Amino acid sequence: MPLQTAYYPDYFAVDDILATQDRIPCTFLQDAVKLGKLNPAEEQADLKAGTNIELPLWLVADITTTRQPVVAPSLPKMYKEGNREILKADPCAVDLHKLSTHFYELGLYVKQFDPRESVAEILLQTFTLRLRFVMDLSDNTVSNPSVMQKLDRLERSVFKSGHDAKMKLVSWLKVSEMPLEAASMVVNHKKRKRVDDDLF
Amino acid sequence: MDPEEVEFLGEKHLVSIVPSFTSESVHLIQGDYGPFRAGLPIRVPLWVAVNLKQQKRCRIQPPEWMDVDTLELIKTDEKLSRVFTKMPSEFYMVEVKQLLGCASDDIPRADEIRTIVKDIWDIRMSKLRSSIDLLVKNHEMYAAVDNLTMMEINSMRPLLPHALDHIYRMKTFQPNVGSQSQTMSFSTHSRVSTSFQS
Repeated sequence: MPLQTAYYPDYFAVDDILATQDRIPCTFLQDAVKLGKLNPAEEQADLKAGTNIELPLWLVADITTTRQPVVAPSLPKMYKEGNREILKADPCAVDLHKLSTHFYELGLYVKQFDPRESVAEILLQTFTLRLRFVMDLSDNTVSNPSVMQKLDRLERSVFKSGHDAKMKLVSWLKVSEMPLEAASMVVNHKKRKRVDDDLF
Repeated sequence: MDPEEVEFLGEKHLVSIVPSFTSESVHLIQGDYGPFRAGLPIRVPLWVAVNLKQQKRCRIQPPEWMDVDTLELIKTDEKLSRVFTKMPSEFYMVEVKQLLGCASDDIPRADEIRTIVKDIWDIRMSKLRSSIDLLVKNHEMYAAVDNLTMMEINSMRPLLPHALDHIYRMKTFQPNVGSQSQTMSFSTHSRVSTSFQS
């Protein structure tokens, strides 16, 4: 079986597994007997109700939806109001990879902890507004892997599919005896791009 | 699709050549071409023309549009128009690349043509990226993509549907929770085990 790298979560999708490893801040609603070792700050055997602790998402998803929820999850800080404002102001300026390696994947899961649905909205908005940025990167990069640093995993996969197509085209244009290319004067003329941007 | 595959399709387009030999007609899957008479122009598929040219058995007559003045006109039109203008040939990139590659001595001002065509391509790609950006940003339902050539569509094809898939997923994704998750995880599990057997 080939390594499953599909973005659609199935049982073995690597991105999905990695995304659900991320920790979510939670508050315990009940006393948890003999789980004191989860909280390194205290030396007690039992976890008291009201303790704040970070638990991985795969665990949280199962223990919050039972009839008597054990913990109450809250939003991780990159999806909170403050960060949402930053993302709204200029999505392209944000280093998404630094916020979270699986910003979108994780966001799709944690949006259920946010009753006002503003997380779902910000995910969609961030992606659509950053698409131009990703597209331009994939089109203008010849071989410089460092440009991907600001993209999260999902955006990197989009970048890669665009970049591969671009590379194929470039190599196709080069194989002929007389490669098609813009004149060196045009390439070096820096104002050209700006003129084109104004037009469209 | 690779650019090479688009090139393959484009090589079926007909171009005019002036053969320097005389021969009976040839029977190809695509159709019959010939008979060839030395000095009399005839239309053959691009790949035949390139092949004969490489053997130095013909002279290629460039298509009417492959001329600096016409291309300059197209370039200005393309720059001023907000939509895509109609290109003189569905495979203009392929034709220019092939003909300039093997027959630059038959085409007047080949260097200038090469630069102009690349400019036209760049303008159109920049337009294409802007319109994709607009399409996605405004959550439009559809986009009319008249007059795009196959090579242009092909160069955007991997990226755009991939991005649209993600957008669709973000709109519809519901994390399976509670009692559903039991049945869901069971069904995925059984599917995985079948794929192990195959």
